[in-house]
Amino acid sequence: MINVNDVCRRLRFLMLCGVTCLLCLLGSQSASALPDDAPVLISESNSTRALFTVSTGTKTRSATVIQPGRDTVVTFFITNVELLKGERANAFRADFEDSAHNRYPLQIVSLDASTSSVYALSVRLPVELGSVGDVLVRVTWRGMSSNRVRASIGFEGGKIEDDPGSVPTPMPTANISRKSKSAERADLPWTGDRVRFLEQATFGPNAALEIRVRRIGYSTWIEEQMDEQIYESYVYPNYPFFPITPSPTCDGNTLPPDSPATCFRDNYTMYPLQNWFYKEALYNDRQQLRRRVSWALGQIFVTSGRVNSQPSQMMPYIQTLDRNAFGNFRRLLKEMTLNPAMGTYLDMAISTAQNPNENYAREILQLFTIGLDLLNQDGTPVVDGQGNPLPSYNQTTINNFTKIFTGWTYCNQGCTSSQPGVINYRDPMIPNPANHDTSSKTLLNYSGATPVIPAGLTPEQDLEAALNNIFYHPNVGPFIGKLLIQQLVTSNPTPAYVGRVAAVFNNNGRGDRGDLKAVVRAILLDPEARGNIKTDPVYGKLREPVLFVTNVLRPFNPTANNNIGVPASCSGLSDGAINAITQPLDQDVFSPPSVFNYYPMDYVIPNTPLAGPEFGIFSTGTALKRPNFVNQMGPPNSSGATGILAVTGAASNTPCGTRIDLTRLEALAASDSTGVALVDTLNREMMHGALSSPVRNEVLNAVQSVQSTNSVKRARTAFYLIATLSQYQVQR
Amino acid sequence: MKEDRREFLKKSCRVLSMTAMATQMRHFGLINALAQEKADTEGDDDYKALVCVFLDGGNDGNNSVIPNYDEGYAQYATARQAQGLAIARNSLLPITPASMGGQVWGLNPNLSELHSLWGLGKMAVACNVGCLVQPLTRATYQGGAPRPYQLFSHPDQAEQFRTAISSYKATTGWGGRLADHTGSLNMNPAIPMITSIAGANIFNNGLNTKPLIVGASPTPLNQVLALTGFGTAADELARRAAMSNSLAQDLDYAIVQNASAITQQALNVSAQLSVDPTLTVTFPTTTLGNQLRQVAKLIKVRTLLNMKRQIFFVQLGAFDHHSSQLNNHASLLRQVSQAIKAFYDETVAQGVASSVTTFTMSDFNRTFNPAGSGSTVGSDHGWGGPYFVVGDSVLGGNFYGRPTSNGTFVPTMVVNTGDDADIRGRFIPSVSVEQYAATLARWYGLADADLSLVFPNIGNFNGSNLGFMM
Repeated sequence: MINVNDVCRRLRFLMLCGVTCLLCLLGSQSASALPDDAPVLISESNSTRALFTVSTGTKTRSATVIQPGRDTVVTFFITNVELLKGERANAFRADFEDSAHNRYPLQIVSLDASTSSVYALSVRLPVELGSVGDVLVRVTWRGMSSNRVRASIGFEGGKIEDDPGSVPTPMPTANISRKSKSAERADLPWTGDRVRFLEQATFGPNAALEIRVRRIGYSTWIEEQMDEQIYESYVYPNYPFFPITPSPTCDGNTLPPDSPATCFRDNYTMYPLQNWFYKEALYNDRQQLRRRVSWALGQIFVTSGRVNSQPSQMMPYIQTLDRNAFGNFRRLLKEMTLNPAMGTYLDMAISTAQNPNENYAREILQLFTIGLDLLNQDGTPVVDGQGNPLPSYNQTTINNFTKIFTGWTYCNQGCTSSQPGVINYRDPMIPNPANHDTSSKTLLNYSGATPVIPAGLTPEQDLEAALNNIFYHPNVGPFIGKLLIQQLVTSNPTPAYVGRVAAVFNNNGRGDRGDLKAVVRAILLDPEARGNIKTDPVYGKLREPVLFVTNVLRPFNPTANNNIGVPASCSGLSDGAINAITQPLDQDVFSPPSVFNYYPMDYVIPNTPLAGPEFGIFSTGTALKRPNFVNQMGPPNSSGATGILAVTGAASNTPCGTRIDLTRLEALAASDSTGVALVDTLNREMMHGALSSPVRNEVLNAVQSVQSTNSVKRARTAFYLIATLSQYQVQR
Repeated sequence: MKEDRREFLKKSCRVLSMTAMATQMRHFGLINALAQEKADTEGDDDYKALVCVFLDGGNDGNNSVIPNYDEGYAQYATARQAQGLAIARNSLLPITPASMGGQVWGLNPNLSELHSLWGLGKMAVACNVGCLVQPLTRATYQGGAPRPYQLFSHPDQAEQFRTAISSYKATTGWGGRLADHTGSLNMNPAIPMITSIAGANIFNNGLNTKPLIVGASPTPLNQVLALTGFGTAADELARRAAMSNSLAQDLDYAIVQNASAITQQALNVSAQLSVDPTLTVTFPTTTLGNQLRQVAKLIKVRTLLNMKRQIFFVQLGAFDHHSSQLNNHASLLRQVSQAIKAFYDETVAQGVASSVTTFTMSDFNRTFNPAGSGSTVGSDHGWGGPYFVVGDSVLGGNFYGRPTSNGTFVPTMVVNTGDDADIRGRFIPSVSVEQYAATLARWYGLADADLSLVFPNIGNFNGSNLGFMM
């Protein structure tokens, strides 16, 4: 452990250490623009140069210049952090930026407490780092970036400017106690975090939810959503099963005409489910959290309308997700395994001892539970001596799981929903012992596992043994925990965050493993999730098309469109026919192209080390369709009808259409000719107040260039610009 | 025309991003020399394009190219007939590759258009290609010799075909790296060297190369990247300026910055794609037909866009036939065959058939041993398989490859022996993806000296030229 006093002595900073300068560090004198929950990197007392020591091999010494090298370990000092029990070095990230604006992520070696309020963070220099002169050093923790201090690599000098407003942040003399921040600050009149929370937990904030959260706080709101036992506002579309091959009057072809005209659309496409899904997302405020988690789980346990083309085949799968979103993962795993849509999609329903099919065996391991690599509990891969990840299973393992999943098929006779002539997609699959491989199987081996399953067991016994063998594998917590964090909060969580969630997956506090309620709570209430603003450069996630669209619509009271007068059957509501927007954005709801989802969860943003799953479908080809959608909903350069137009006729795909109401924005524009009230309101409601000041000025300039008497165009201009910002495409 | 073009070049320079500009400047000396040389020797029409057709999910190569001589078909039937996965012998489209010493082979009956291209000498087959980190035999494989990372897993194997690096999880694709090292062959290009009509994927990403991604036909080429809703009034221009200026803000936030970069690239290229050319050939209106039609349009406006070298990526999914394979596979192969033929015909009509080479890739071949039986029969994840290469610069009508355990280019079609990795007929490749790709890359213009930069493991294999390109 490094003693700070020793460091000071060695660095002849005794005098400097004695200077009380803490106020200029944490004080209110605008000295630093750092939010009060950000970590502080300690500098020399009279400059913004970092306080540090350098070790090579076993020697530790002070230096003014850091010589690059593979063995060089540099120790920086940080304060204003208050660690949770078990929060360690893996809660931190650090990087250098050189004068050419190259960023070098640093490998964190260790974190040691120096005093009760100062920590020593040791980092290894990247191999590719040469003598680049002065760099700016940054540390991030829980999504917050520290101030940046200066260090010299190889030589002193070089042209890198301090960050604006940068001031010395010397060693504190007294122990400081960081203002303890609870996740519950919901009672404050307005905080950005409430909107941020709703961005993560729902399909988009709106005024009603914001008020609700403000009244009852995050925890109670989460419990309230979890307690609700009716899962849908709009009845699950419950269509009858149709024959696999459509009849000539229900095949979507014009001759002979279908009867009714919507027969094919409603019985052989995902259209009814997609509309239902969007209506739930837009209107069911009591089930936002369940729906969001169910949607996230559905992107892990993937099946697709591309294979199960009837809505009646996919609905039970969706109900399984809804039912288990706040249940136990083990039960979800079993219900998914025996779900007929899954059985069809990954071929378990036809896998027999005589003709085994390895599809489900492979994907349940690779995608649904443990992943390809052995993981530490914080989600980082276990590596061998050469730094290579270790596979969590091999082809032999898959062959054994293939055997164990044989002998299950649809219950086409004798179950509640069995009907002659069609496949029963509602009741779980049932065993057919004659088709089951009863030989002995060797499954996953890990500490505490019983990998060898004896010969002669029934299909049910084998299934339970196999699912237990998977469920208790130590990978499941970090693997599923990280995927859910990526779906709800951020693409690049720190290992510490993953570790905290995995620990809750492993044990909910009452000894239960796999409690998804506890996992969701842990994800949303984690300090890395909460806070008014996040400043870590890699924080956040690109909004997938569905979330982008629902986030744009929900704050502005989406309703049926009135371009043709609203048909009474619409009850004034959108018909939910919104998939026509997201499908060209490569998110065709309930019809992902393959079991690897709409986008691969391990997609890496090109030329970066960053995970960015949603970037898998964000490209030049789809990027401009986002602003075009915003333009459709509120075109600044038009006064004509807006939104998704309602179309009359029995076979219309948009009988009600969808529009949003921007009149309250127009009122704001009319009331304040500077445009400030308009822009700042949108900043609060859509950006949780995080609009950077240069961008705010851009938006304001554009608004002010519109005649102040034209409040409709001012409102739409501001709405268009905010909703099309890259800052808005990213949930931060 | 010349005047227009100069004007056009000036415009395209203005829209080049600063980094692209810097890259251009670095290559400037080289470009000048190269341009002079080209002008001296080849005139104005030195154009080459590679078109990758990715069969996503793992194409069953065993049912694409089938032995049609007595012993070969008998082995094939032994493995596949009982469970119902064999293609009837009398339906095979016969081919006689010279390299197989007079043996008759057959193409799947749904590949009739490709069969006609074979007959014209415009299509070759690269045999038993797959992901490898070093040459393997059944004995060395079963003895634990180094093998591709996460062998037989879809995303990993598909990725390795796209990256041509199987030893670890690479972060760039071979298309992207090829563009990195041949980018200077395009002087002042109006669009990136690589265009994907099938969304983002790693094949297209290089260290410096960022692909253009556009949608397929029937969206007209001049509308694939259209931004709607802007007028010309002052407040409209102000809104447009605010949008652009905002894309240059908050660059410190990595996720935001990457979203901005992609959006900005779309806006830049949007201004360049101003025409929607008319094609001669009528394409099938299928997924692949519509994608290749868009490729053909981009090739048609190559001069306007100032492109000398282009790489295209198109993709057809749903080849992962663990079940119900026969009908589904037939319809996919028909689609592939018809679309590639239409595309080839269009390159003939444009006079660029010898400048455009189309080739297939996939995750892997499938198990020779079927999965299931009867009407739902399918196959599981396999390994080495056959791939098609089409164009007038292809030495067509032949098989290419490296010897398998039996000395020919194709594996012994028997499970649990010969070239099988295990007991189900996952054939160990005798040709690595690197060798297949390098053969194409060299034709495209990759310098020998840069070969190992684009294909870092190429030295592990026997030769870098399979010989199917002129």
